Amino acid sequence: MKQQKVGGTKKIVIDVLLFVLVAVLFVLFMVPFLMTILNSFKVKMDILRDPLSLAPSKGFSLSNYIDAFKKMSYLTAFMNSVIVTGFSTVFVTILSAMCAYYYVRHDNKFSKVCSSLMSASMIIPFQAIMIPLVYIYGAKLGLLNHRATLIFMHTGFAMSMSVFIFQGFIKSNVPLALEEAAKIDGCGRYRTFFQIVFPLLGPTTATLIILNVLAFWNDYLLPSLVLGVKAIKTLPLSTYEFYGTFSADYGLIMAALILTVLPILVIYLVLQKAIISGVVAGAVK
Amino acid sequence: MKSSIKFIAIVLAVMVLFCSCSKKSETATTNTTASTAKVSITLLNSKGEIQTGLEKIAAQFEKDKGIHVEVIACGAGEVPYTKVTTMYNSGNAPTLAILDPTDIVGLAKEYALDLSGEKWVSETDALNLTVDGKIYSFPFCVEGRGIIYNKSAIESVLGRSFDPKSINTYSSFKAILAELRSKGMENPVFLAKEDWSLGAHQLGYIYDAYDGTTAGSEVIINELKAGKNPLDVDRFNQFVDTIDLILEYNFAKADPLGADYDQGALELACGNVAFWPNGCWAWPNLVEGGADANGEFGFISFVLGDDPNDFANTSIQASASKQIMIDRIQASAEQQEAAKEFINYLVFDTTGQKMFVEETALIPAAKNNPNQPLDPLGKDIAERTASGKLYTSCFIAPSDHWSVMGAAMQKYIAGMSDKKELASTLSQYWKAQN
Amino acid sequence: MKKSTIQDIKAGAMFALPGLVVFFLVVIIPFVYGFYLTFTDWNGVSQVKSLVGFKNYVDTFKDVEFWSSMWLTLKYVAISVILVNIVAFGLAYLLSNGIKGQNFFRAGFFTPNLIGGVVLGFIWKFIFSNVFTAVGKAVGVDWLSKSMLSAPKTAYFALILVTVWQLAGYMMLIYIAGFTGLSHDVLEAASIDGATGWRRMRSIILPLMVPSFVICIFLTLSRTFMVYDLNLTLTKGGPYASTRLVAMHVYEKAFTARNYGVGQAEALFLFIVVAIISGLQVYVGRKKEVAA
Repeated sequence: MKQQKVGGTKKIVIDVLLFVLVAVLFVLFMVPFLMTILNSFKVKMDILRDPLSLAPSKGFSLSNYIDAFKKMSYLTAFMNSVIVTGFSTVFVTILSAMCAYYYVRHDNKFSKVCSSLMSASMIIPFQAIMIPLVYIYGAKLGLLNHRATLIFMHTGFAMSMSVFIFQGFIKSNVPLALEEAAKIDGCGRYRTFFQIVFPLLGPTTATLIILNVLAFWNDYLLPSLVLGVKAIKTLPLSTYEFYGTFSADYGLIMAALILTVLPILVIYLVLQKAIISGVVAGAVK
Repeated sequence: MKSSIKFIAIVLAVMVLFCSCSKKSETATTNTTASTAKVSITLLNSKGEIQTGLEKIAAQFEKDKGIHVEVIACGAGEVPYTKVTTMYNSGNAPTLAILDPTDIVGLAKEYALDLSGEKWVSETDALNLTVDGKIYSFPFCVEGRGIIYNKSAIESVLGRSFDPKSINTYSSFKAILAELRSKGMENPVFLAKEDWSLGAHQLGYIYDAYDGTTAGSEVIINELKAGKNPLDVDRFNQFVDTIDLILEYNFAKADPLGADYDQGALELACGNVAFWPNGCWAWPNLVEGGADANGEFGFISFVLGDDPNDFANTSIQASASKQIMIDRIQASAEQQEAAKEFINYLVFDTTGQKMFVEETALIPAAKNNPNQPLDPLGKDIAERTASGKLYTSCFIAPSDHWSVMGAAMQKYIAGMSDKKELASTLSQYWKAQN
Repeated sequence: MKKSTIQDIKAGAMFALPGLVVFFLVVIIPFVYGFYLTFTDWNGVSQVKSLVGFKNYVDTFKDVEFWSSMWLTLKYVAISVILVNIVAFGLAYLLSNGIKGQNFFRAGFFTPNLIGGVVLGFIWKFIFSNVFTAVGKAVGVDWLSKSMLSAPKTAYFALILVTVWQLAGYMMLIYIAGFTGLSHDVLEAASIDGATGWRRMRSIILPLMVPSFVICIFLTLSRTFMVYDLNLTLTKGGPYASTRLVAMHVYEKAFTARNYGVGQAEALFLFIVVAIISGLQVYVGRKKEVAA
């Protein structure tokens, strides 16, 4: 009885220590964000003179946000980003899950070759295919300057990693027995996949959605190659004129960064709940 | 099997629908512009800070001439040359491209339209860039560099008036630095650490100050290529002396490679330093640092040696640092004409002239533009243009010169290498270009 | 036998084909074309290019800077991979045990991934050269008031620091997914058997987490080998070219020095090096997985 109590307090002490450790790490992790938020309300001179100051000479103001919002054509760029990110994510999630499913369930030469080709392609430096890519799709096919082309390319580039992660998960976590039962019940292949297998991939899907959404939302190089016309520019593309040749407008860039990150933060927080509920549902069953 | 066909059909249908949708929105936008404008051209802008200004000019131009100009920015971390290369590869070459002279030289013969016969050629004469005797580009703006001073800061420390013309030798520069130090301004010069600044703008004096002409800069470059030891080049020795002097009085002595451009603008603007070797493009940054448009800022020469009559000590370097070329390959004849018209608009149209000066705050290369620069640095250069106290050499080096030599200069100012090593890096660089 | 082959093909057409087609069109075909370019003397923009055989590969071997940047990158990758995974695994472990505010912390540690490469480098450059120095001056600490980016060693360390800062949250997410995938039965059985603390970690958890390790190490390897944006905007390869990693060198070779063929050949070489290293890693990992 007594011993148990000691164990209890010991556990509490460890828990508190761990909590403090995590909290300290957390604050350190947040420093860049805090500094960005703080300085996004200041004028450039104050930012450079003393980035830590809580009482800048020109005071705090929203003017960076207003300027950034206008100069970025925020709403247009936001919609473009949503369209590109949304469609790319949907395509890549479904196509890669199907692909991974095939690789795992049909372990033949073809899937072995394709699967290793995909894994290998993850380490191709993008710079090595950048020029051929624009040459083929631009000069030869004339397909640049369409959002659909960018969605297509995003899907292609993101396939490998998504397949790679799905593959590992399907292999270890999706029981074959369920599918066989469905087959006996007369379910078609697609129905088996979409009604039985895909829902089981829940947590991984949520994780992959987050990773892919982030990659698409923030990508700069690929969109800059594909989208030249202002009307279809995504958010990261719309901020780059804030960087001058010799000097950059710190306040504007920080405000623009926050405007770009906010929507994605919301998505992340929403999806994070989905991951957890997915896991909980799995545990209940 | 049936379900698979259905599924593929649905995917295809969605994709087709989607593509047609996005295409529609595109044709819609081009249609709306087509109703007001017949020709549409693109302009690649490699000067981020004038993007907004250029867009305003483009809008006005469209209103006046009915030609749509889409201004494409070259973003952070994007090398303009890479950008233009990729655009050529993608079949989307910009009709007009604002580029550095080096890049123009690289592209001219294969891709640029010969502009030797244009009317503005006589307005920009000394600043024209010729490649094999032909002019392939329009000198967009003039930028000058030297050592920027803050007169009021100097005078308040010295307690006497300061005449910038009095600084015309190494010794006179040394004397005033010593005087400033003795009267309380411990380290009166700011030297920015950026490699483009050190490698192209500062080190560039050894070429540009050869005899003040681009042809002269080629002579010295060819000598270096042929294996001449930089230590035997007068300008190199003078340059290193001046750099050493600056380092002795360097504001960022404790951390020379922590001193960035933005800080330089700030310290000069608020008078913590008296001098900053840099160029007229720094004005907007000085304003951000708190400088007043009526403030007394201007240039002294980047002094080289002790001869007060040396042109390098009485005048400063200024050249057409950005040039516009017109695409010859991918643009239609109609677009090329429209592009020429845009350049003519900047040179000859009164609205174009005025907007150029007011919106971009640059100094026009065309001498017929009656609008005076609005800021002190621009005014100084305009005065010098009138009095001939400028030399227009603009050395042409391979595109990696600034990064390779910039790194060597950084090493030097950090005290991690000596004059001999700097000289040998320079020598090796040029010998490898043969 | 034959029937199963037909089944395979049919399923392949239904499941793998759509994704594979996109993948081949976007990644493989340009890559093959890029491979062809390594045998030409193309400068990146000219309309003429002629075949030069293996000259670009010979030049790659002669390019001293390529090899020194490769060595620098290898060190950077090794340190980063180790640190990233230790931090990420630790965080994932701490944040999978029902600590107070667990979800909040998870979100927090992941936030660095919300920023893309170019802006990320810019913000950190600001932190290193303005914020840290301001702190140093305010508290009067000499070493802190110098910018970390102004000396080769500290700038290199700064690169690693930012890499860990960014990637740890990403990998943490994958480790968390791994932890939640661990069967509760196994863990419960283990604690009933009296396996606690370090023993529970070493003999139960670590073996079961091997698949997550394989994925995470592979991802960190590929991410760190390819790092370019961060390198460019944070240190620009400086001071005096001391932190120029291999991707940046390749990029500059191809575009700044206008030697496209050599740049492309070097990129291919880099690809092969990374392929070998990560292939080995995955192979060893998978073997361990089977054994466990």
